[in-house]
Amino acid sequence: MNAIRPLQSTDKAGGPAARIAGWLLAVVIGLIVMASPSQAFGHAALIKADPADGAVLAQSPARFSLIFSEPVSPLVLTLVKPDGAPVPLTSFRLADQTVTIDNPQALGSGTHVLSWRVISADGHPVGGSLLFSIGVPTEAPAVSEAIDWPPRLALWVGKVFLYIGLFLGVGGAFALVWLAGHGRVGQSFVTATLLCGLIAAPFSLGSQGLDALGAPFSRFAEPIIWRTGLATSFGWTVLIALVALGLGLLSLAGPRQAAKPLALAGLAGVGAALAASGHASAAEPQWLTRPMVFLHGIGIAFWAGALAPLGLALKGTSVEGGTFLRRFSRMIMPVVGVLAVAGIVLAVIQVQTPAALLATAYGRLLLVKLGLLVFLFTLAGINRWRLTASAEVGATEVQRRLARSIGVEMLIVLAIFGVAAGWRFTPPPRAIAIAAAQPVSVHIHALQAMADLTIMPGHAGPVSASMIIMTGDFGPLDAKEVTLVLSKPDSGIEPLKRAATKPGDGSWRVDNLVIPVPGRWTARIDMLVSDFEMVKIEAPVDIRP
Amino acid sequence: MNKYLLSAGALLALGTSAAFSHITLETQEAAVGSTYKAVLRVPHGCDGKATTAVRVQIPEGVIAVKPMPKPGWTLQTKKGKYEKSYELYGQAVTDGVKEVDWSGGSLPDEFYDEFVFRGTLTADLPADRKLYFPVVQECDGVVERWIEIPAAGQDEDALETPAPGIKLLPKK
Repeated sequence: MNAIRPLQSTDKAGGPAARIAGWLLAVVIGLIVMASPSQAFGHAALIKADPADGAVLAQSPARFSLIFSEPVSPLVLTLVKPDGAPVPLTSFRLADQTVTIDNPQALGSGTHVLSWRVISADGHPVGGSLLFSIGVPTEAPAVSEAIDWPPRLALWVGKVFLYIGLFLGVGGAFALVWLAGHGRVGQSFVTATLLCGLIAAPFSLGSQGLDALGAPFSRFAEPIIWRTGLATSFGWTVLIALVALGLGLLSLAGPRQAAKPLALAGLAGVGAALAASGHASAAEPQWLTRPMVFLHGIGIAFWAGALAPLGLALKGTSVEGGTFLRRFSRMIMPVVGVLAVAGIVLAVIQVQTPAALLATAYGRLLLVKLGLLVFLFTLAGINRWRLTASAEVGATEVQRRLARSIGVEMLIVLAIFGVAAGWRFTPPPRAIAIAAAQPVSVHIHALQAMADLTIMPGHAGPVSASMIIMTGDFGPLDAKEVTLVLSKPDSGIEPLKRAATKPGDGSWRVDNLVIPVPGRWTARIDMLVSDFEMVKIEAPVDIRP
Repeated sequence: MNKYLLSAGALLALGTSAAFSHITLETQEAAVGSTYKAVLRVPHGCDGKATTAVRVQIPEGVIAVKPMPKPGWTLQTKKGKYEKSYELYGQAVTDGVKEVDWSGGSLPDEFYDEFVFRGTLTADLPADRKLYFPVVQECDGVVERWIEIPAAGQDEDALETPAPGIKLLPKK
């Protein structure tokens, strides 16, 4: 209880309305993130599969291969047979971005589902499934792909509280030890946030394990969940975070002479914990992104951590508060500079184009965060240049105003944590762009003929198409002419009709094709089998934006 | 409302003119077991270019085909085995003309011409069905293939380059 009282008095500084508004904002943002449809989109994207989705094969394949947009490791691989019986696939090999899975048994005819769940370097699991058939397609066995909400909510809550522990707790301990002097007002608040982080860290790990395996909340206590969570890159984040939180606690509770190095090590631990996983840390170039995340994390911890002890100190004795404020304001400018530069570098790497700010959930979250930051910087600027000078010399009324303003800053900081934790569920535009640049493939099958059509890249704009054609029973098909017709009746665009050429590798190609708009197109391949016989086969193909 | 009517009208007009621009047969119906005089009507060239050759594939079940020579055009036929033996005036017929080519001529885009052949529709052909005569129209460097045959249930009007066809009537 003792620990909570200072938090309440800090909040009172911002007023109950501001407090409610702050929390509402955080909750609303959280809900927007979770309800956003694009969250189902993965971070590592499947770009090619063999057999391809929808493929019809003559015989049972010896192995399956999945190629992703970045290196991954499989968590759960299951083959669902036409009768609905699942077969766990345990034998697989990894080579760069390709997962090659051995097929343990000869498959009978009918439609099978290959269901996969993998995790990439950012520590975020993604799942999906593809259908293929042996001989003839049958009705696909049912596989549920529903999103289980409680683990996702748990992940978000766990992350927010982990941020509170790391930034407000470890950062707070650093501020108390290095900046506050002898007063150490707000030590109980900082201790409480550290403990909160110590609880949130393992909770997050369990939630990560649940998400990794796509398991329901009821399996939270199972060892496999925790082992899996620990095996992901987020496991490192949690382990380093626990060390950092422990160092923070030690710096407050341990001997005074060891306090400063312990607190500094804790602060470095915050940066290291963040750099160990996440979208930004996983982005290329690694030599740049990981140090930037590290610096960004340290900057946040320094700034956000100092806010609560500083506010409390200013509310209390004016002398202690004045010293604290002088030290803080001397250091905050370079720290915010580093924080901003690191943040901008990471944002540019992740978002790539300004258009993606509005077009993607990730970009919209960044905009919300930037909006909150503008507000925060305005407040901080007023504090720094209007109030600090008078507060430093001990003007009591100004100090109280400053304390109130710091209270509001704290609420904004919490809202920012909420937004940042939401990024866990949105792929960055960088990853979306990589995925969009991948080719789309479609297998078209009819009685007389079939074709594998690949459009590269698989998004609107200039593309080239490659086709491999066969007879309906997998025999060679020597067509005299092949024409590709792409149509989209609902768009009012006339069909695009292009004669294909033979580059000599057994395929047919169409170059210099421009697909004007994304969406579901109908691809038709006209094959002139003999002078008087044309075979036309068609299938829908989804062109990405 | 007017706009819709207008566009519907435009569509109708376009649709009709499209039908006129296909290669078609003059006589659209014939009874199985009868002799049929096929008159292929060629209304235009390919993309504005003059027609230099017209080739027609004789479908299975049409035998004893004799094309009509045409001044200025070289007439050739390709013969081959039928899928089965047919009876013609008490004689078994197992092979005959499978393709007729008129080539080496020049029919400018702005002129119209007809290409004629005669054949027997055997009694083995199913009545109340359509029988198609796929045609390849060659121009200077361009080929138009009037070879599309509608799949079961498909609307013939939806085809871009339909093969000319006739409706088979029951044997008289």
